[in-house]
Parts: sequence; C-alpha cells; structure tokens
Amino acid sequence: MTLGSIARAIATFLILVLLHYTLRPLLGWRAPMDFLLLALLLSAIRVRPAVGALLGLALGIISDSLTPDALGAGAVGMTIVGYLASWLKAVFFADNLALNAFFFFMGKWIFDVIYFSVEQRMGGVEMIQQLLLWSPLSAAATAVAGVLLLLIMRPLLEPAKV
Amino acid sequence: MARAVRSTNSRVDLTVLAAATLLALVARGLPQNLRDPIASSMRRSLLAPLVMLQERAEASRRSLLLDAERTAIRDSVALRAMTVGAIENENDRLRELIGLGARLRWGFIPAEAIHGRGVRDVTTMTLTAGSNAGVRRLSPVVSPEGVVGMVSNVDPTMSEAMIWTHPDFRVSAMSEDGSAFGIVQAHAASATTGYLMELRGIPFRSQLKPGSLVVSSGLGGVWPRGIPIGTVLSEISTSEGWARTYLVKPSVSPADIGAVMILRTDRVTRGFENVWMAAAAAEAAAQRIVVAGDSAARAAALAEAAARRAALDTTRRDTTAGGQIPGGLPPELLPDTLSRAPATAQPFDSAAAAARRDAARRAAARRDSIRRDSVARDSAAPPRSPTRGF
Repeated sequence: MTLGSIARAIATFLILVLLHYTLRPLLGWRAPMDFLLLALLLSAIRVRPAVGALLGLALGIISDSLTPDALGAGAVGMTIVGYLASWLKAVFFADNLALNAFFFFMGKWIFDVIYFSVEQRMGGVEMIQQLLLWSPLSAAATAVAGVLLLLIMRPLLEPAKV
Repeated sequence: MARAVRSTNSRVDLTVLAAATLLALVARGLPQNLRDPIASSMRRSLLAPLVMLQERAEASRRSLLLDAERTAIRDSVALRAMTVGAIENENDRLRELIGLGARLRWGFIPAEAIHGRGVRDVTTMTLTAGSNAGVRRLSPVVSPEGVVGMVSNVDPTMSEAMIWTHPDFRVSAMSEDGSAFGIVQAHAASATTGYLMELRGIPFRSQLKPGSLVVSSGLGGVWPRGIPIGTVLSEISTSEGWARTYLVKPSVSPADIGAVMILRTDRVTRGFENVWMAAAAAEAAAQRIVVAGDSAARAAALAEAAARRAALDTTRRDTTAGGQIPGGLPPELLPDTLSRAPATAQPFDSAAAAARRDAARRAAARRDSIRRDSVARDSAAPPRSPTRGF
C-alpha cells in the first residue's frame, strides 16, 4: 500500500465513523444502518486477517463503551467479522456491486447474530424476531448505504492491489 | 518456502484472532464494578467528541420531531379556528329557530335543508322530513327570519321544497301597515344582482318607502298572514302601466338556509298571532332600553360633573373672600386643592368646561334625534282606533 492509499483509507474510515455518530442518530430508524461496521469491512479488506481482527476488537470496545451492559459483545462480533472480511476479501471485493452488497449484508447479519448471542439480553421469541426480522432489515439498510458509499466514494475506496 | 511463510502467517492470524476474541470475551465477563469505570473513562477521553456529536444529532432529531408535532398542532388549531365562525353562525341560527319554535308553540315540523347543487344557483332543496312526520304538499317552509319556500313533493321520509328563488314561486304580500297589497316573486335579474324579490301589482295610489317591511298577507290560503318576506329597496320601472313594482331585499338569503320549520296545515289555519312581529317588537324594545340606559348614564355623569363644578366654584368664592383679609389666609389654612393649584389651573378648567359643554351638546342632539325618530315612527304608524279598516 502506498502512502496515498493509506491516507485515503484512513479518511474513509473517519468519515464513516463520523456518519455513525451523526447521521444514524439523526435518522433514528428502528433498523438502523451500521456505518461503524462498514468502516470495519472496508478497512479489513485492505489489511491482513490478524490486523482486521485487532481493528474489529478496537472498534468493538469503542462502540461497546456507549452501552456498558454489553461491553465486550460488540468487540467479539467485530473481531470475528473483521477477521472474516479480511480473509474473504479476494472472493468478495471484485468489481461487482451486487456481490459487495451481499458482503455488507452478511457482515452486518453475522455481527448481529454474534452480538445478540454473546450479549444474552434477549431470548426466545424476541431473539428470533430480532435475528430474523430487524437484523436482516438493518443489514439491508447497511448494504444499501455501503453500495451508495462505494458509488459516491469510488476513488477513495479502491481496494489495494495484493 | 512460500507455503511455509503462508502457513506461518495463517497461524499468526489465527493466534491473533483467538487472542482478540479472548480479550473481548474477558471484557464481556468483567464484573459490573469494573466494566463501568472502563466504559466511563473511554467515554470521557477517546469517545468524548463522538459522544458530543451523537448528543447533538439526537437533539436535532428531537427538535425536528417536536417541530413536526408543533406544526401539526398549529395546523389543527388553525383548522378549528376556521370552523369556529361557521359553528357560531349555526349556533345562532339554531337558537333563533328554538326561539321561533317556542313562539309557535305547536303545529310545526323541524327539518334540515339539504342543498342539491351550488349554493348560489339553488331554487329547490330537499328537507329531512316527509309525510311520516306530517308534511303535506304546499306546506309553508319558514325560518326565524321569514319566508323560505313551499313544499312541492313529499316522500315518506323526505320532501322537496321550492325556495322563493324558484321562478314559479309566488306569495301574496302586503306592506306591514296593510296599506298596499301585491304579489312577491323572484326578481328576474337575480343572476347578476344577487337574489332579490319583486313586489308587483301595488296600486299607484300606494307608495312604499325604502326600508318598509313586506309580509305575507294571508290571501290565497297557502301562506298565513304576517310572515316577513323582505324589505323594500326601491321602485323599479316595468312595462305594466297600471301598478307599481318594487325591488325587495329578501329576509332569508338562500345561502343561509339550513335548519327550517315546515308549518302544518292545521297550524296555518289557526293563524300566528304576530309570532314574527312580536319578535321584531321585542328586539326593537330591547334596543330602546339600551339607548335609554345610555342616556340615563350620560345624564347622571353630567349631573355629577355639574355638582363638582359648583363645589369648586363655592370653594373659589370662599378663597376670594379670604383674600379680603389683609395679607389673605395663611397658607396652612388654605384648602389642599387650592393651595396646590397654581394659576395655570384656570386654562385646564376652562378646557374641561368646554369639553363638558361639547359632550352635553352631543348628548342633547342624540336625545333629540331619538325623539324625532320616535315621533316619526308614531306618526307613520296607523291610528290605533277600533274603527281601523272601516
């Protein structure tokens, strides 16, 4: 990776983190888009799986600190998702928007499954409703937002040549 | 060699993944008293700007939602305010209708008028009462203001009425004092001048002044005597050379017809004992009482002012008498008002007196005009002798 591509990746990462803490609460949707996860996915595809896992751990701890009761649940989910994203980058980050959308969708859904399983706050019907209704909706919103970002910020989001 | 490097890298990646996952699980398993300080310290340091951004975003969202709610409330209040006038009008009309019902006492059927087409071009209307309620064909339809129309078709539950604007509508009419008789019908040029009536067939020897009330005469058998039809606006020239024709402003505007009363045949034959006239007389009497009350209050105020002026004059004379004492009265013996009143009080006093004179002159003029009106009304009224009409 060149210095320019590293700077662009960091800029993209910061923009997404900012969007997560500004646009998401402003919209206030029941099934919100997860810009933090998009930031993780788009960063993880540029680094090794180990770095992706560590990045996920850091982002997870940061996001969990706003919900102390679930501290660590998000970190577990993001660690695993960061590792998997980095590991699967060659498969998914071809120049195909539909494939990328599927990548974002699956990333968010897997994260939610891990998060709510580790958090152990919900159970029974509520858990099923969350994982089969709200999480897919949120994952779809995240995928749409990710695809739009890819279209708008394509020059910044060019993946590194490996 | 490359395979060995790749294998080593994979092992490192897996080891890091395992370590990171373990760390996260440890964080998850921390007791509450350790979790909170960690989260709190992160919120205060690393996450402080992001937390601030999130707070502002949520505050913006709340204000947006509140603004939408306020707009909705404002709109609904404005909508209600728009309907208040109509409701007040309807309320007034219903009160008048109840008053008319109390005066009629019996023999009427209340009904709602349903306008079929536009308000401005209506000549018929549907009434929400039919033969089941006692409505018959040619029953008069009235409102507290006067003549509305006549029932033309009757169904068991509904009926159709011809409003006075209909070209075929006629009612035998007379002036309030009974000096002139004629036939009232809709004015032909109503489409451009608004809804007006014509009083036709008035003999040349009878002349009606603008503002004269026209009521039903009771001739013809359909309409009873004494129901207001309208007031004379002016005389109009027609091709008929043997009678006068007057333009009449109707008592009931077609646009205002809502709740009405249908008079039953037996009630029509019994007469109305000046039901509408009594109401008009009561209203006039109430207005006279208000005017008289104003005059009495004004007279009392003038008398009070005169008494105050007389008291001041007396005090001033006493002061002048005190001035005959060499050196005058000592200041401590002078009345407070006079001791404080400087020489400049005189212009104010004269100005006040001028204002009082002006007010008294206006009040006298108003009393005179009221008296003139009463005299004019009395002189215009027919002589109240038992031989009237013979």
